[in-house]
Amino acid sequence: MKFLRVSASTVFLMMSVSLASAQTVGFADAIKILAASCGKDIRAYCQSASLANSGITNCLEKNQSRVSQKCNADRQIVVGLIAARLAAQSEVAKICNRDMAQYCKGVKPGAGHMLRCLLKAKPSVSAKCNEAIDLAGYR
Amino acid sequence: MSKIFLGSVTAAIAIIACASGALSQTKLSRNEIINSLQGAQNEVNISADELQKAAIENIEKYPGANSPQQLPLAEKLASLRQFNLEITFHFDSATIAPGSYETVGLIADALHTPYLQGQTFFIVGHTDAKGTRQYNLELSIKRANAVRDALVTTFQVPAEYLFAVGLGEEQLRDPSNPDAAVNRRVQLINLGYK
Repeated sequence: MKFLRVSASTVFLMMSVSLASAQTVGFADAIKILAASCGKDIRAYCQSASLANSGITNCLEKNQSRVSQKCNADRQIVVGLIAARLAAQSEVAKICNRDMAQYCKGVKPGAGHMLRCLLKAKPSVSAKCNEAIDLAGYR
Repeated sequence: MSKIFLGSVTAAIAIIACASGALSQTKLSRNEIINSLQGAQNEVNISADELQKAAIENIEKYPGANSPQQLPLAEKLASLRQFNLEITFHFDSATIAPGSYETVGLIADALHTPYLQGQTFFIVGHTDAKGTRQYNLELSIKRANAVRDALVTTFQVPAEYLFAVGLGEEQLRDPSNPDAAVNRRVQLINLGYK
């Protein structure tokens, strides 16, 4: 029994580690978890809370003593998933700095021009930069 | 030999294309939004304020239960890259219902991609023709703003590219059925690069 518990948590740890390093999910996939796991609690306690300014997740946190166990677990996962995707997006410029200099000479910065250039140059672009673009959900 | 190989590759691609085509009919996808919105060329010279004002003036100029004609800017807007979405709000309020969180997330996913970055978008709220025009106009303004606010805060889409406009029932999608559900929608319109 004890062995079983250890192995389960080890598996979970391995899963979360590989999740953190190998993928992120989009905003839609993240926020739909909130609707599925917390829909009832939102209708009961956060009827007038706004999706803007993290209003829903803040309201659920405030009401955590009344909110279902599943919702309490998943609302934190959702906040983490959104933060992970945003972090992945803000990393791209740094990680792809050299690729932009090499393959996107003369492309004007801003307005997504550089990123569109990197998407087109995928076969030449470094593996690290391509991975950063995947993690950002840019492809 | 190479001809046979090529043939089988084409068949495989066709099957994949069919499968994704079938999926997109039943469920909205990020790429469906991107494909409908991308391809804008130069910036279009219509401001969100101008469009909002046109709707308000339409009610003042032509009062009555229903709008007698299209907005002056309608034709110009119709020529732009755009996409209609169904977003559900709580009754009589601008609070987005949980069932539509995913749709708002899909808009965020689409607008963050390089394909749509750097382009300006109107988020236009529309109602059906039930209720007074003034009330519908105000509700649609609040709802368009609720969608914009969620996009720029929770999902951090750059605020400088997004403009909320409410047209109430002034621009029905199906004028022959003014009370039909198809008229209730949020419309994304691509105004192009600055």
